[in-house]
Amino acid sequence: MTRKQRRLTMIGGSLAVLAVAAALVLNAMRDSIVFFSTPSMVAEKHISAGKRFRLGGLVQPGSLQRGDNLAVSFSVADGSATLPVSYKGILPDLFREGQGVVAEGALDASGTFRADTVLAKHDETYMPKDVADALKKQGHWKDDYGKKPSASAAPQPTQGAMR
Amino acid sequence: MTLWFVFALMTVAAIFAVLWPLSRRARPQSGGSEAAVYKDQLAEIDRDVAADLIAPSEADAARVEISRRLLAAVDDQRDPTVQSNVRLRRLAAVSALIGLPVVAVAFYLSLGSPQLGDFPLAGRARVADATQSLGSLVAQVEAHLEQNPTDGRGWNVLAPVLARLGRFDEAVRAYRNSITYNGDSAERRSDLGEALAGAAGGVVTSEAKAEFERAIALSADDPKANYFLGLAAEQDGRNADAASIWRGLLAKAPADAPWRPLVQAALVRVGGPAVPALPDSAMAAAKDMNDTDRGAMIRGMVDRLATRLKQNGNDVEGWLRLVRAYMVMGDRDKAASAVTDARQAVANNAERLRQLNEGLKNLGLDG
Amino acid sequence: MIAEAGHYALVLALALALIQSTVPIAGARWGDVALMNVARSTALAQLLFAAISFTALVSLHVTSDFSVVNVYENSHSLKPLIYKITGVWGNHEGSMLLWVSILALFGGLVAAFGNNLPLSLRAHVLAVQAWIASAFYLFILITSNPFLRIANPPIEGRDLNPVLQDIGLAVHPPMLYLGYVGFSISFSFAVAALLEGRIDAAWARWVRPWTLVAWIFLTLGIAMGSYWAYYELGWGGWWFWDPVENASLMPWLAGTALLHSAVVMEKRNALKVWTILLSILTFSLSLLGTFLVRSGVLTSVHAFATDPTRGVFILLILCIFIGGSLSLYAWRASALKQGGLFAPISREGALVLNNLFLTTACATVFIGTLYPLALEVLTGDKISVGAPFFNLTFAPLFVPLMVAVPFGPLLAWKRGDLLGAAQRLTAAGVMALIAIALLWAWTYGGSTLAPLAIGLAVFVIAGAFTDLAERTGLFRVPLGTALRRARGLPRATWGSAFAHAGVGIALIGIVCETTWNSEHISTMRPGDVAKVAGYELKLDDMVQRKGPNFREMIARFTVDLDGQKLSVMTPSKRNFTTRESSTTEAALLTRGASQLYISLGDATADGAIAVRIYHKPLVLLIWWGPVLMAFGGMLSLSDRRLRVGAPKPARALRGLQAAE
Repeated sequence: MTRKQRRLTMIGGSLAVLAVAAALVLNAMRDSIVFFSTPSMVAEKHISAGKRFRLGGLVQPGSLQRGDNLAVSFSVADGSATLPVSYKGILPDLFREGQGVVAEGALDASGTFRADTVLAKHDETYMPKDVADALKKQGHWKDDYGKKPSASAAPQPTQGAMR
Repeated sequence: MTLWFVFALMTVAAIFAVLWPLSRRARPQSGGSEAAVYKDQLAEIDRDVAADLIAPSEADAARVEISRRLLAAVDDQRDPTVQSNVRLRRLAAVSALIGLPVVAVAFYLSLGSPQLGDFPLAGRARVADATQSLGSLVAQVEAHLEQNPTDGRGWNVLAPVLARLGRFDEAVRAYRNSITYNGDSAERRSDLGEALAGAAGGVVTSEAKAEFERAIALSADDPKANYFLGLAAEQDGRNADAASIWRGLLAKAPADAPWRPLVQAALVRVGGPAVPALPDSAMAAAKDMNDTDRGAMIRGMVDRLATRLKQNGNDVEGWLRLVRAYMVMGDRDKAASAVTDARQAVANNAERLRQLNEGLKNLGLDG
Repeated sequence: MIAEAGHYALVLALALALIQSTVPIAGARWGDVALMNVARSTALAQLLFAAISFTALVSLHVTSDFSVVNVYENSHSLKPLIYKITGVWGNHEGSMLLWVSILALFGGLVAAFGNNLPLSLRAHVLAVQAWIASAFYLFILITSNPFLRIANPPIEGRDLNPVLQDIGLAVHPPMLYLGYVGFSISFSFAVAALLEGRIDAAWARWVRPWTLVAWIFLTLGIAMGSYWAYYELGWGGWWFWDPVENASLMPWLAGTALLHSAVVMEKRNALKVWTILLSILTFSLSLLGTFLVRSGVLTSVHAFATDPTRGVFILLILCIFIGGSLSLYAWRASALKQGGLFAPISREGALVLNNLFLTTACATVFIGTLYPLALEVLTGDKISVGAPFFNLTFAPLFVPLMVAVPFGPLLAWKRGDLLGAAQRLTAAGVMALIAIALLWAWTYGGSTLAPLAIGLAVFVIAGAFTDLAERTGLFRVPLGTALRRARGLPRATWGSAFAHAGVGIALIGIVCETTWNSEHISTMRPGDVAKVAGYELKLDDMVQRKGPNFREMIARFTVDLDGQKLSVMTPSKRNFTTRESSTTEAALLTRGASQLYISLGDATADGAIAVRIYHKPLVLLIWWGPVLMAFGGMLSLSDRRLRVGAPKPARALRGLQAAE
């Protein structure tokens, strides 16, 4: 083989691998990417039953119900809409009513969101980012949720005036 | 004094690190070279052949290749002209002697706080006593509660203090614990709601709202819960609901309740029949006036406030009241110019400026 | 005074780095030995001052000096001592200080042990290293200064977060940083070579130990991070394809490719231009990882937009260094001389194949990690690219790579004999087939892929030992001769065999854990028995206990196997009342390489508790594999060939004294 042929073999091989990789990426992008929605976006967009997506919002206080054998149901709200969610399994440590939550799953025929994962990876000051952004967009949050108020922050005008 | 001595010592050490090599006589080719590597590779091939690890034919081919590299490396010797460039060296020495301390001191003086000594905790426990600040008292109570989390009374004491200090997240936690260990009450629930609203920057979030609703469920007349539920309605844009909640609250309130003016001011904000910051007599007078007269009276008061602030601009609360009044009157231009005036008036005081911006933010005008 | 001295030391380190980044280059340009030697003494002095600064911050944390903002915000007098120390790098400012201290450490090591380097190369390398250091010193001093003070210090600090008080979380960031920052050396070597306009086989040998060190630490750091997630998060998951994890995986993939291409360069003087590019890319990916983790982009694109100073500063550093080095590459690379020739089927060809797959896999991870960010910035749509994406792209690329791994070391340099290599691998192939057949029969009707994957892993492991056996002539020559040859075998050969075997072992662990993992989730009452993978776990009782600052509910399980009592497991759930947070402490029972894993959920009102029990067969192999790889790396590092012209002790000592 001449130097040129060798080089062509090499380049051809690389291109083949890259093409395979590109095909894999595009294929995976089509099937395995999940979009993020809030309950009001679900209401607007009429997501069809069975399509997987991530649902984010606040757990409606008082909506958590535990059934038999680790079945749980609760509602996720974003201020303008709520969506019932059912889940079977152990809820993460930081799951609490009134707190942000992200669940992954799909709607069933009756319009209930069947979650197979409830995400746990946020701590007490860290709001799941998708939830915080979505709520901010709707004007339910003025300040950045994750920001700790500094020790010397001035009392708000609505504060301390009563009693 | 010791500090400056230490700084000087460190600076001298740093300068020395630069000057030391400059002062040394140049040893030509004190570094390694490619040739050493290739010689070693040749030796390695000999070793491998001896250990029977590679075939003699392969070894020969490799030797030829490495020898070629070795020759090239010897030909193409690095640093062919080793010379000493006195001017450059002098420049480097000067940059070390002058540039280095100047850069270091300039940076340090703008960032550091040389006047502050150390404050290790161990050294401070003794001096703190009579002069303890509120912050340190809070810290002590917190430490106590960290050890005895079930002490309900402690939480009761701590929670309002934290709320007043603006540490709302911690106040929320404290109120929750207080409810857990002291039992539920409308008052505690509405305090918790207030702290939650504070943590959200004055916005009554759905979480806070839930607490006020629980408080109402426990005691329908709880004034704070009613007030905040009205506020929640106002923030959601339901002004009529807010007004009716507040009107109901005022109707049931005792005449001397200290929070009456606040609720009345709030009512005005949503278009109710009261006027902000008016003494009762003026309010009574205003009630009898027709709309034009009432407008004139309000404007008169606002103008007086504006004049006062022009003479003495240090009153942050006053500025905020003025801006709010202009906004209530729908005069956004004047509100904007009042904001500018206010900023100028307090510009030379960082603390006041911060308070002002904070307040403006709560009015919905971005600081 | 400690705080201020630390602060001043940091400023001095910046000033020294500025001198180190200019003077040696001028020296190399005009051939002045003394000016070039400035690089060395300033690098050592810079290390000294960075170390002073870091030590100062540690001691401030230990003594709880709350007049320092960083200590006040991230420490608490009640923290145990060990967490006061590890808390230093548990926050942004401290971790950046650790980052530059490690950078200074590597610079100092090159200065101290780089006597075998040509003078001008060393000057250039240290100068480039100082460019990076200056940028990060400036970043720390301007946007994330850990030494800012409070005039009226509060009496107590603010942080006592129990979740962060964990030893695994405390140890693995420094490991990862040693890896990330270690790659800065190969970057500096690459840029130095481009600046000098000359590069040859010797260059590869000089860079190799540094790349190896970085790679070893990164391997261990990733493995530790993964094990931490496994036992601490209570899910039994060990890899989440989370952006932070991907940020560490990308430099690892590129760095692994770099290690292999550097071998080709060292032996055959080929692939030079490619190796330079890989060096630049590897460190760029490390910088990108730092950016992703440190700028807040991951927490929220909004957080980045509302407080952009830090993010923009890091982005600027990123653009300058990545953009600058790539432009320099585009400009100078064509001037570098072409190297040795080789046929596509040869050791070189195999290593090219390895590089091709590793970099492509790295690229897919890159796309999966950054695509959601880019999409959100451009269109506002939020998507999540989760495990399925990576499994679908990463795994198919790794399979051919694994098939090729055993062939590589058996092919000759320049022109290889594929058939011959295949013949020599017959034994390994047969072993793999037997493994597949046995597993197929044993798990009849189960997964078809899993036995194939394990067969592949067996092939890789057996292939690694075939390589050793071939070289020592085991089974062909008398045992004594074979042993003698084994002793004479370069340590690097042993190292690569162990590392390759490590890959196979990790693969077995991954396949077994994901395929035959049994899970049992239920609510249990005292007296209930759960059966998982042949084990019987009986919940004996639940006890409340009071810890120093938490209440703890401990569940006791008796574990039986075939009616024999094995052990007692005590998972617990801790409630930190003051912070209203709870943590789950999983209980692990190790049996060989397999583990039983219990974690608790919430207790119900009627005295039952939600329990999650896993049996994870051979799960420990997932981490033993990387440990074996790292061990291989260390063997390779100890190879005598890497110490060519190593400094004579006396001279190194003099160099060190110079700095003090």
